[in-house]
Amino acid sequence: MAAVEKRRQAVPPPAGFTDSGRQSVSRAAGAAESEEDFLRQVGVTEMLRAALLKVLEARPEEPIAFLAHYFENMGLRSPVNGGAGEPPGQLLLQQQRLGRALWHLRLAHHSQRAAFNNNVSVAYECLSAGGRRKRPGLDGRTYSELLRRICRDGQAPEEVVAPLLRKVQCRDHEAVPLSVFRAGTLTCFVLLEFVARAGALFQLLEDPAAAVADRRVGQAVLDTLEGALQASDAAAPARFLEAGSRLGPDSLALALDRAVGGRRPSAPMTREEFLERAAALFIAKVKPVG
Amino acid sequence: MSRVLVPCHVKGSVALQVGDVRTSQGRPGVLVIDVTFPSVAPFELQEITFKNYYTAFLSIRVRQYTSAHTPAKWVTCLRDYCLMPDPHSEEGAQEYVSLFKYQSPSVTFPKWLSHPVPCEQPALLREGLPDPSRVSSEVQQMWALTEMIRASHTSARIGRFDVSNRFLLLGLLCPEQIRPDGLLYFRWMAVMT
Repeated sequence: MAAVEKRRQAVPPPAGFTDSGRQSVSRAAGAAESEEDFLRQVGVTEMLRAALLKVLEARPEEPIAFLAHYFENMGLRSPVNGGAGEPPGQLLLQQQRLGRALWHLRLAHHSQRAAFNNNVSVAYECLSAGGRRKRPGLDGRTYSELLRRICRDGQAPEEVVAPLLRKVQCRDHEAVPLSVFRAGTLTCFVLLEFVARAGALFQLLEDPAAAVADRRVGQAVLDTLEGALQASDAAAPARFLEAGSRLGPDSLALALDRAVGGRRPSAPMTREEFLERAAALFIAKVKPVG
Repeated sequence: MSRVLVPCHVKGSVALQVGDVRTSQGRPGVLVIDVTFPSVAPFELQEITFKNYYTAFLSIRVRQYTSAHTPAKWVTCLRDYCLMPDPHSEEGAQEYVSLFKYQSPSVTFPKWLSHPVPCEQPALLREGLPDPSRVSSEVQQMWALTEMIRASHTSARIGRFDVSNRFLLLGLLCPEQIRPDGLLYFRWMAVMT
């Protein structure tokens, strides 16, 4: 199906000029005006401006690839040229919406909070938009599907994220408000980063030849983290200082030393088990939806 | 086990002061008292008793001679121990004080803070253990991420009608504004040492 190219007529030079010199000048001026007008009328100026603003906001490492994806998504948004085929079915539209929402959500890292929140709002609007056969609003099933996709694309193992999804997913028929949407997506992205850090940590602990870690060492590290996360009654600053003193290198070194010195070596700890147990510490602090 | 007084020689107090002691006007805030133990036989110090005279905070440093080969090192056993809750009041100003070897920490200090600096130097890391500073860096980031999520909960309700939940009978869908995130996302790279 070839895309039909619309070609516009160039603005004809104004007739009735007897002076040839003036005619050429006015033709050039007319052509210049018409180009600017043309760009503005088709919306390219506005579109490019929006694209450049997005690049500035996201500051991607590969701007050209970023722009390519951006325009690809733009193409999805405009209606398919009629006449060449049927309009896409409901399922395809749904997938497209999900894809677009995911793309928006990945534009900014969650630590760039303002940009991230903006993108969350855009993604929410994209998913909530009403369609020909769709009521406006975000339903629980789409929301849950989105969260699953975020976690899957972030390469976190299924067993690791399953408990989180159970906590934050919504039931199929429920209407999901923006605040819940924002909290849920943020939590997923933060968990992905947490799991990545846990993976890096495991690499520090593991025996490179065996790809497993000494259970005493892994347990000691997890216990230290768990201890630091225990909600103490102290107010915020004191709690952070206390955690910092527990998680500092000296205190960790002591903990590791004690763990290895005291006990005999036992069954090694695999990466999967370590990630699962670490993620459980995180997920325990997540407030379930409801 | 009986307690035996250890003969000691208490030297006069020396003021710690910036600048010339004779010419500068103000009275010094920090005084150092040297206590030496002339007897050669090794002993284990259990208790120090003294009468205070308007000292607010006390630190005790000990220099231990462990063996002939290792040079003697100064070790802090007590740091800024409070003798007078309010230095401008009389409370504690002329009290008799006993410091025991295993002093229980005062109630106001949080447990982790009242640990005196351990008298032994941290042991050399065993072979095969991971680098503690790198482990610490990763664990601190994981902690920070978890704290951030713990702090940023939403109070909006989804409007669920759960028959099983006796208390949540009516959950109205009120679009409350999410609480603005007061907790900044911060990356702590080995700040805590």
